[in-house]
Amino acid sequence: MILLKSNLVESLETGGKPAVLHALQQAIQLEHATIPPYLYAMYSLGQQTDNAAVADIIGSIVAEEMLHMTLACNVLNAIGGHPVIDTPAFTPDYPGPLPGGVESGLIVNLAPFSLDVVKNVFMEIEEPQDPNDYPETATLLEANGQAGVTIGQFYDEIKKQLIALGEDAFTGDPARQVQPPFPEGGIVTDLASALEAIDIIIDQGEGTGTTPLAGEDGELAHYYKFAEIYYGHALIKNPNAKPTDPPDQQYYYGGAPITYNASEIAQIPTNPKAADYPSGSAQRHAMDNFNYTYTSLLKGLHDLFNGQPDTFRRTLGAMMSLRQQALDMMAGTNLPGPIGPSFEYQPVNPA
Amino acid sequence: MSYLSSRLRLHFAGKFQASVSTVNNDVKHFDNATFKPSYQERQDKLHMNGWWNPDGDGVWRLLGCDITAAYNADGTKPATTDAIYQCSVADSDDSAPAKIVDLDPEQQMVSTIFGLQVRIADGHGNTLMRGFFDPGPFTELWLKIVGGGGDLAMGAMWQSVVTATEWGDLSNSPFLQDLKAAADANTGLLSMKFNVDCYSMTWPTTGASAESPPGSQFCRGRIVGTLGPASAAEPKHFILGRQLMIPEAATQNLNPYINYCAAVVDETASVVRLDLGNALQINPDGTQVDNGTLTLSVIQGSTPVALGTIPYTQPGWYQATAGVVEVPVTAAQLAIIADNPLSLALSGYPDSPTAEPQGGLYVRADLFVFRMSPGDTQAVTFYATAYGQPYTSQEITFDYNTNGLQAGPTDPDVGTPTSALTFPASITTDTVAGTATLTLTAANPGNPRHYIDGQVYGVGYGLANQGALYPSNIWNFVSVLVFDTFVPDNPITWYGSMQPIFQQYANLYPVMARFVDLGDYLQVVGYAQMLQLAFSLPEEDPNAMPVTRDLSPAKRKAILEWLQNPLEGTPPATPKALETTVPAAPTEEALSKGGKAAAFSKRLAFQKP
Repeated sequence: MILLKSNLVESLETGGKPAVLHALQQAIQLEHATIPPYLYAMYSLGQQTDNAAVADIIGSIVAEEMLHMTLACNVLNAIGGHPVIDTPAFTPDYPGPLPGGVESGLIVNLAPFSLDVVKNVFMEIEEPQDPNDYPETATLLEANGQAGVTIGQFYDEIKKQLIALGEDAFTGDPARQVQPPFPEGGIVTDLASALEAIDIIIDQGEGTGTTPLAGEDGELAHYYKFAEIYYGHALIKNPNAKPTDPPDQQYYYGGAPITYNASEIAQIPTNPKAADYPSGSAQRHAMDNFNYTYTSLLKGLHDLFNGQPDTFRRTLGAMMSLRQQALDMMAGTNLPGPIGPSFEYQPVNPA
Repeated sequence: MSYLSSRLRLHFAGKFQASVSTVNNDVKHFDNATFKPSYQERQDKLHMNGWWNPDGDGVWRLLGCDITAAYNADGTKPATTDAIYQCSVADSDDSAPAKIVDLDPEQQMVSTIFGLQVRIADGHGNTLMRGFFDPGPFTELWLKIVGGGGDLAMGAMWQSVVTATEWGDLSNSPFLQDLKAAADANTGLLSMKFNVDCYSMTWPTTGASAESPPGSQFCRGRIVGTLGPASAAEPKHFILGRQLMIPEAATQNLNPYINYCAAVVDETASVVRLDLGNALQINPDGTQVDNGTLTLSVIQGSTPVALGTIPYTQPGWYQATAGVVEVPVTAAQLAIIADNPLSLALSGYPDSPTAEPQGGLYVRADLFVFRMSPGDTQAVTFYATAYGQPYTSQEITFDYNTNGLQAGPTDPDVGTPTSALTFPASITTDTVAGTATLTLTAANPGNPRHYIDGQVYGVGYGLANQGALYPSNIWNFVSVLVFDTFVPDNPITWYGSMQPIFQQYANLYPVMARFVDLGDYLQVVGYAQMLQLAFSLPEEDPNAMPVTRDLSPAKRKAILEWLQNPLEGTPPATPKALETTVPAAPTEEALSKGGKAAAFSKRLAFQKP
């Protein structure tokens, strides 16, 4: 599992409101940092191919990571903070640890889809502290024993400190927040709505401990969605299990097959950089265009989460443009061959 | 004021990208019944298929456009410490890139840029000015490169206004402070003009890896431009000034030695300021063709009196000036210039000047491309001038004129029925500014082109007392697309009226498959929320659907209504029989050209008398 640096929690325990503000900014960066690797794998599966089922699963997880980013921004805004999204430091460097992660821990790559990536990176990122070991699971990697805290523990500590700060901390202007696509809720105005927002993040990512489902919507927590891909079958309820049986007997990976066609996966490099391609080459132009749009998206999101919620459509447009550019790059459209986008901060688009 | 009427201005030079989508370049591809999957493939030696860029996404970008020069209002240059010299002209940094689209497959010569943000940015990309470019078409296309081929050989220009909405920290740039003050005095308006050339249609080569390999410039070209103050009183899309016409002989093949260009006589500064950015020939490598000494003269009687020469062959001249030059003149010369023609001639081609006609008469519609629905009226603003001065109380006459459109011999006819686009035979300019407003009225064309919506029209115009042979600009006509009346089925269903619309879009814009197969009911329904958003955006928005901006408001309304409740309806009992007509084989010339050059040659080959 991902282990975050222990000092993230330690400083939270003693740092008062500034530390909570800092931790929420850290949380926003962490939620964002998972998105490029997931997208990279998802786009590599191609479009209008046999791989749609797998791509859809990853896509549903990306959508929730975006939601988590939104909720973390809302909580930060609610206590008078200001999310910072449009800086070079905001974007992670791949390969590398996730923001706040222990240096010797999991190294996250931009890599094309493979079962290895799903198991050894994505499931690791999303692994709960104590995952339910449903039948037909392979042995999960042991935490490496290094001192650190899980993402769930990190969020639990944020909740604890929000409770300690009390209702008086919620001084932010609710108009600065972004309404998530819920029927209700998601706008943080007080302690209760803040704790609720963070619980959504924890539940969707890790599940609730006793069930693989993430809260009330019946969707699986991320870890188990990735596990479905890895084991090649949907996770379904075990009809033979009695309610008194242990949680890991209640479900098994025996549902509908979830397959993919490896020959349709884009043959693209792992951890590309714009600088890998000579200045003036068609590949470099495509990388630059993508990175400029990616940076534009971050700037748009910065505005969105800093009091300009009406910029939502604009940022959505930038996201759609990124999707198309990434798919074109991976298909090698108008290029000498397929390449993958590098997700680098690039505020200037050179000639 | 425009960028040419004021000395306050900046120039920039860099690259642009126009990743136009080309499946819709052939009007026959709009026919769902005969559409073939191969039309979404790139052309090869034997087949036109989807022309040269079927995967184009319509994107328009400004790339690395460094500011190469700036001038204060008094004509001096800002101090070298002014931050403007570290700036560039860039496009949007907070949304998707702009789009470029044709009006119609039978009018591809007025491609319009939608959703372009223009920024002045510092070296780190920070915004010092953010503005929005009024959508407008290119014009004055010509064979700019001597010895080039295809669209690589062509040059064109865009002029429009930019409404500045945001200014950054200008404390290090007195120049930008002045520019802001000038904009603020005119409701934030700036005037922008840019010239494009060296556009590449050469595909990247598989496996190419060397630096600048063949095809690395695919869909990219060179751009230089000028940004200066604007005023609401002046036209947005052309210079209210002196208009120099190319020789009659050059109009057929668009091959003048000096293209159409405009000048402003600045009496205060005692200069004639010319914009030659889209007017001088270049070599395939982008350098200026040395056609000898370029002299600006005034024609007194029939004798040219030289006013000055222009150092256009100096290295870097084009990038540093964007073609904007000043020729100093004396008070005596100013008096002569006031009512005598200006003329530009190259010593290598002294008999082919580009010049004002005797009398200096000129008339132009400001914006000249429109999309209309039955029942719409559209006001078109005209400006008439004589030697750059308002030409008041003068009659402007109009006629139906399809000469500038591009219907091939087997293509649907254009410009009929005329009853679907009506306008008065003439209007008269006012007594002060020489302006007049034409009202176009649209009615239902009644689906004259069958498989493609509506009809495209050309409206020719001229001053009544110019006479038929008076030199004029061949690009000066109004292009109008009038959509058909559209009544959807009730209730609206996929098979009832939506499928043909979505299928055509899916056929013509393959990039859309990156998101959803628009020909597939279930996929469209699954994507309904995003489609609702995109179809409800204004056409100025870079993300507006359709990207091609060729969907009638009536169809858009029906789509939005249907997406709320996407009923499937009943599939047709028997599928429509496929027609077996084999499209005519393309000519070798068409295959070698493909883009604007091909569209123009179609116009030449098939224009009606």
